[in-house]
Amino acid sequence: MPSSSRLNPHVSVAEETGVPDGAALYDRAPCGLLLTDADGTIRMVNATACRWLGFEAHELVGRRRFQDLLTMGGRIFHQTHWAPLLQLQGSVAEVKLELKRARGEVVPMLMNAAVATHEGKVFHELALFVAEDRHAYERELMTARKRAEQLLAEQARAHAALEEAKAAAADRALFAEQMIGIVSHDLRNPLSTIRMGTEVLEMTAAAGMQQDVLANISRAGLRAVRLINDLLDFTHARIGHGLSVDIQRMDLHAVVAAQVAELRQAYPTRMLVHQANGAGGCAVDADRMAQLVGNLVSNAMVYGETDSEVTVTTTANPEGCAVSVHNHGPEIPESLRQTLFQPMVQGTKAHSDRSIGLGLYIVAEIARAHGGSVDVSSSEHEGTTFTVRVPAPLSL
Amino acid sequence: MTVRDRHNVTVEGSGPVTMVFAHGFGCDQNMWRLMAPNYADRYRTIRYDLVGSGRSELSAYDRTRHASLQGHADDLLEILGEFAEGPVVFVGHSVGAMIGVLAGISAPGAIGAHVMLGPSPCYINDDDYVGGFSRDDIESLLTTLEGNYLGWSSTMAPVIMGAPEKPEFAAELNNSFCRTDPDIAAHFARVTFLSDNRADVSKLREPALVLQCSEDLIAPLDVGHYLQRTLPNATLQIIENVGHCPHLTAPCASMAAIDAFLESVESARFGG
Repeated sequence: MPSSSRLNPHVSVAEETGVPDGAALYDRAPCGLLLTDADGTIRMVNATACRWLGFEAHELVGRRRFQDLLTMGGRIFHQTHWAPLLQLQGSVAEVKLELKRARGEVVPMLMNAAVATHEGKVFHELALFVAEDRHAYERELMTARKRAEQLLAEQARAHAALEEAKAAAADRALFAEQMIGIVSHDLRNPLSTIRMGTEVLEMTAAAGMQQDVLANISRAGLRAVRLINDLLDFTHARIGHGLSVDIQRMDLHAVVAAQVAELRQAYPTRMLVHQANGAGGCAVDADRMAQLVGNLVSNAMVYGETDSEVTVTTTANPEGCAVSVHNHGPEIPESLRQTLFQPMVQGTKAHSDRSIGLGLYIVAEIARAHGGSVDVSSSEHEGTTFTVRVPAPLSL
Repeated sequence: MTVRDRHNVTVEGSGPVTMVFAHGFGCDQNMWRLMAPNYADRYRTIRYDLVGSGRSELSAYDRTRHASLQGHADDLLEILGEFAEGPVVFVGHSVGAMIGVLAGISAPGAIGAHVMLGPSPCYINDDDYVGGFSRDDIESLLTTLEGNYLGWSSTMAPVIMGAPEKPEFAAELNNSFCRTDPDIAAHFARVTFLSDNRADVSKLREPALVLQCSEDLIAPLDVGHYLQRTLPNATLQIIENVGHCPHLTAPCASMAAIDAFLESVESARFGG
């Protein structure tokens, strides 16, 4: 049977099977099909493409170039990228373009294109697919991506601002600590003038009431000196390299006994007991140990029961030494024990004799400067015990 | 990073004069494959990819350095310094031509003659000047580029449907042409299409050939005439061609015009 003349000679049709012919497939294919000259002039267009674009075939064939159907952006993209690409590699795939319909609205489409030669003449074969859903989805992706990038940039900015604020706060804190150091240092001179004057008056003045007043001045002066020393130690510990210690071999019991004797003068109405265990020889800074005992006893006097004794225990053996101070009285709450050794932390009891909360911090710093540690045990029944342990140095 | 790696520099042929080929926006040095080989028997030829295009080192794309065409011109001068021998003929397509102009002005004498294919000193209309585009058109381009985000990226090579009549490309079906990072493409599109080098072209003393296509959306005829008027030493040659890439679609006519121009430059230099 002679084959009938078809529009597309490459599509063979088996009529006996009832399959529709190739021309119908071309015309009604579920994609837009176009054939253009090399310069883009449209030579063939199927019904699907006409329907999608809103043109009649005769309005397109021979009258428009494919690029005329594109948005300006699409035309620039065509000229600079995919037309040369088509020229170079003979085909392009999955190019996304926006095509202008006859009535002006724009429809996103995906395009595949290939170069074909027919009887020595070059044509371009184009297949178009409406891509509205894909376009919408890609838009969403792009929006999400931009949003993510924006958030990332915002986060980076916030982080930078935070770092800046942190640095500024650190600067302020350092300045404040330096101020404390400078002020405390400058307070020492007038204070020592007051104390020396008081001592001179104590030696010369006679009247009983005046002696009481002088004793009060003297005690107040001593307290002020202790406070200033605490502040100076605090600033050294915070902005320097910790507290300085001068470690020598000595008799711990004797050092602490002397300090306890002095403290008894300061707390004439209270019971202060010293217990010494072991031989007493150890390697510590004597002044720092006295300061440490002073701070712990002062603490015990403030927070302990006023009618029971405060006990200082010193222990020394070859492994190291320990100083502990015990008082009866209410339990230190568990929550407070965590922060007790940090600066500016105070117990709950208000007291006029309290410093600004550096005592235990300095105790901990002294222990640390000796390579030792401090801990506290406290209960309603047993009372409260602070214990500083200093290991024996490896060589001395 | 070497200059060779940064720009994927290809040096071929030999001769007393060096010919340097620079591509434009949207493509890479493969654009010159129908033209450059024809000069390799008489010239030392250099092809390269602009940073951010083709197989250049994408990490070398610097949004500050390459925020204007001058950054690309400085790149070009580095390439000339390293690879050029003897006098230089610079062949630039589209924005590549303006990069050559800027390089020639920055380093007088570095380029002896300019061949410009489809050049435009300014794409946007401005009073009496007709560049062919409005600002909105350029925004529309950026939208289209964004829509083809996947198409640009080198990891998503589309299927090539085959080009049996071009067996010379059979080995390159992995589609390595004209790919780049989509974000760089968008940035380079802005730099290219918002550039205005009208003040620069009047400073170029060296002889220049302007190859103007008869119908070119990107560089319309008006632009070719503007360049002929403004360049101090220019020859305008109009080629019958629809499109922006005469070196691909009309290589023979393009080369004939270039050869005539080079001959006139040579005779002016030697024969006077």
